[in-house]
Amino acid sequence: MKFLKVNMADKTVNVEDVPQEYMGLGGRGLTSIMINAEVPATCDPLGPENKLIVAPGLLSGTSLANTGRVSVGAKSPLTGTIKESNAGGTIATALGHLGITAVVFEGQAPDGELYIFRIDKNGDAGLIPAQEYKGMGTYASVEKLLETFGGKTSVLCIGPAGEQLLTAASIQSSDMDGHPCRAAGRGGLGAVMGSKGLKAIVVDQGGKTADAIADPEAFKEAAKAFAKAVMADPMSGQMLPALGTAGLIAPVNSMGAFPSLNATKGVMDGWEKVSGEAMAKLIHERGGKTGHVGCSQCIVRCSNEFVDKDGKYVTGSLEYETIWSMGGMTGIDDLDTIARLAFLCDDTGVDTMSTGVGVAVAMDAGYKNFGDAEAAIAMVEEIAEGTEFGKMLGNGPAEIGKHFNHARVPVVKGQSIAAYDPRGMQGNGVTYATSPMGADHTAGNVIGEYVSGALDPLKADGQVEASRNTQIAMAAVDCTGLCILASFALVTPEGGGSFVQAMNAKFGTELGPDDIPALGIRVLKAEREFNRKAGFTNKDDRLPKFFYEEPLPPHNAVFAISEEELDTTFAF
Amino acid sequence: MKVKVKLYGTLRRYVPDYRHEDGIEVKIPDGARVMDLLAHLEIPESRKGIVAMEGCIMRPDDKLIDGASVNVLQPVFGG
Repeated sequence: MKFLKVNMADKTVNVEDVPQEYMGLGGRGLTSIMINAEVPATCDPLGPENKLIVAPGLLSGTSLANTGRVSVGAKSPLTGTIKESNAGGTIATALGHLGITAVVFEGQAPDGELYIFRIDKNGDAGLIPAQEYKGMGTYASVEKLLETFGGKTSVLCIGPAGEQLLTAASIQSSDMDGHPCRAAGRGGLGAVMGSKGLKAIVVDQGGKTADAIADPEAFKEAAKAFAKAVMADPMSGQMLPALGTAGLIAPVNSMGAFPSLNATKGVMDGWEKVSGEAMAKLIHERGGKTGHVGCSQCIVRCSNEFVDKDGKYVTGSLEYETIWSMGGMTGIDDLDTIARLAFLCDDTGVDTMSTGVGVAVAMDAGYKNFGDAEAAIAMVEEIAEGTEFGKMLGNGPAEIGKHFNHARVPVVKGQSIAAYDPRGMQGNGVTYATSPMGADHTAGNVIGEYVSGALDPLKADGQVEASRNTQIAMAAVDCTGLCILASFALVTPEGGGSFVQAMNAKFGTELGPDDIPALGIRVLKAEREFNRKAGFTNKDDRLPKFFYEEPLPPHNAVFAISEEELDTTFAF
Repeated sequence: MKVKVKLYGTLRRYVPDYRHEDGIEVKIPDGARVMDLLAHLEIPESRKGIVAMEGCIMRPDDKLIDGASVNVLQPVFGG
C-alpha cells in the first residue's frame, strides 16, 4: 500500500506508505477525500495548487471480476467543483499488481515542458522528457509508447485538447488491445494533466508486488460466487455482451426520455438506425467485434470494435452515451458518422458527451443545421486544429451557448447532462442537479427503477429518495474499482453478499451490508464539503430554466421537483 | 384484439423468422394483459421481458390496447 508522490516542478518522486488517515480508501473515496484535505478549494484548477490523483480501486489487481476501473481526481476546470472521473482499460489492474494505492501529481512543470511518467515492473518510477509527443493525437502517442516500452504496458494520456488546456479535455486510457478508446471523460481532467506538463502515465503490467490478501481461500470462493451472480443478471449476462451499452437506446426511446435535437424532444427520429440492435447487426455484417473484452478482469464483455464497410477499425467500443450525444442530440442517424466522431474525440482527447452536446447547442443556435454530418465532423476536427471555434467547443457546451447567446444549454455546474432527459426521468434530473460532480449519470442513475415499474419516471414522488440511494451506492462502488456494468448484480443477495465477502477476505475486516452505504455517505460528505469551501451553495443544485418551462414531447412533462425537495437529497 | 410487437435486446431469438422491419402482429383475446402477451410470445419468465406501450413502461397486469404498437424490452440499469 504505497503512494507515489510526483512533484512536477522539481521532478522528484517520493514513495510513501499510505498514511493512517487514508487507510481503507481506494478509487473515488481516496481521490475525493484527499482532494478535500489537501487542495485549497478556491485554487485555480489549472494552477500549481491543484493535484491530479490517479487511484485504482480497493479491489483492483485482485482476481475479482470487473475490478479494472481507475479513478482520476482533481478540482475540475470545467465545473469548479471536486471531480472524480473513472475509466476502464488496464492501468488500474497494473497499479494494483504493483501494490500502488495512488499516484499523486503535484505542482507544475515549467511552461513548455512536457513529460511522461513511467512506472516499471519493479515499481521504480520517474519522469521522462517527452517533447517529441507535443501535439500528438492519443492513438499515435500510445502506438509510440507501446513501441518504446513494450506491448505489456498500460497508458493514460492526453491529446491536443488536454495540451491546449481545454476544459472538456479527457484523459484517454488504453484498452486490452492497446487502443486509447476508453476515457476518464468528464470534467476536464485532461486539462489538469496538461497544466502539469504531463502527456502520459505509463505503467508496466508485469508487477508482482500486489498487496497481500488476508484470506486467499475465502477470497477465491467469494470471487467465484460473484462472477456467477454477474453472469446471472440479465443485463450484465445477456444484453451487454450482445449489444453493449447501446442496448439502452431502445428502452430509453421507448420511454420518451432520450434527449434529442438539443433536448427538445424525448424520442429521436431514426433511433432504430443507431440502436444497439442495429449497431451489433452492422458490426457483425462487416466483420467487427461485439462481446469484446476491453478492460482487465472483465467477464461482461460490453465492448465492441466498430469497423467501416471494408472491415477496417474505426473506433473501439462505441457507447450509448456517445451515440446519444453525437446522434440523438445532433440529429445524425448514421452510425458511420457517429463512429468517426467518437474516434476524433478519443484521438483529440476530449469528452464525447460534452462535445456532442456542444455541437447540438451550436446547431440549435443556428450555426449549422441539425443532422449535418459533415458539419459535425468539421466542427470536432477544429478542436485538434486549435481554431477559435475549436477551442470554444473543447471548452464544453456552456461556452458554445455563451458565444451564440443561446438559452437552451443542458448543463449543471458547467457539465452537460447525459442520455436521460430530466423531464422524462425525474430522478435522473435530481441526480444531475445535486451530484457534487455536476450533471452526471453514473453518479446515480435511476433507470432501473423505471424499467422495473417500481417508480413512475414522470411523477415527482419518490424521485429524491431514489436518487439519494443510488448516489450513495455509487459513491461506495466507485471506491472499489468495480465497473458499474457489473454492479447490477450487487442488488441480489448472492451478488451483494459475495462482494462484501471478497472485501472482508482481502482486508481481514468484518464489514456488513450497512458499511457500504456508510462508505458512500462518507465520500459524498467530503465532496460536498469541498464544493461548499469552493463557494457552491444549494442555489447551484438546480437544473437550467428550460427544463422547468419547456415540456418535452411525447409526454410533455416539465421537471417537477421543487427546490425545497431537491435540497433534501443529502439529508444525512 | 391485435397488437403490433417489436422485440429488442436479445429477445428476437424467441420468435423464429422474426424480421424487425415488419415486427409481428399478434392476435390475443380481448382484455389480455402484458403477462399474457409475454406468455403468448413464449418469452421465458427468466428473461424478464418488459413491455413499453405509447411511451410508457407497462406493469405485468396492465391491459393492452387494441391496435397498439408495443416494444418488448429486456430489463436495464444505467451506464
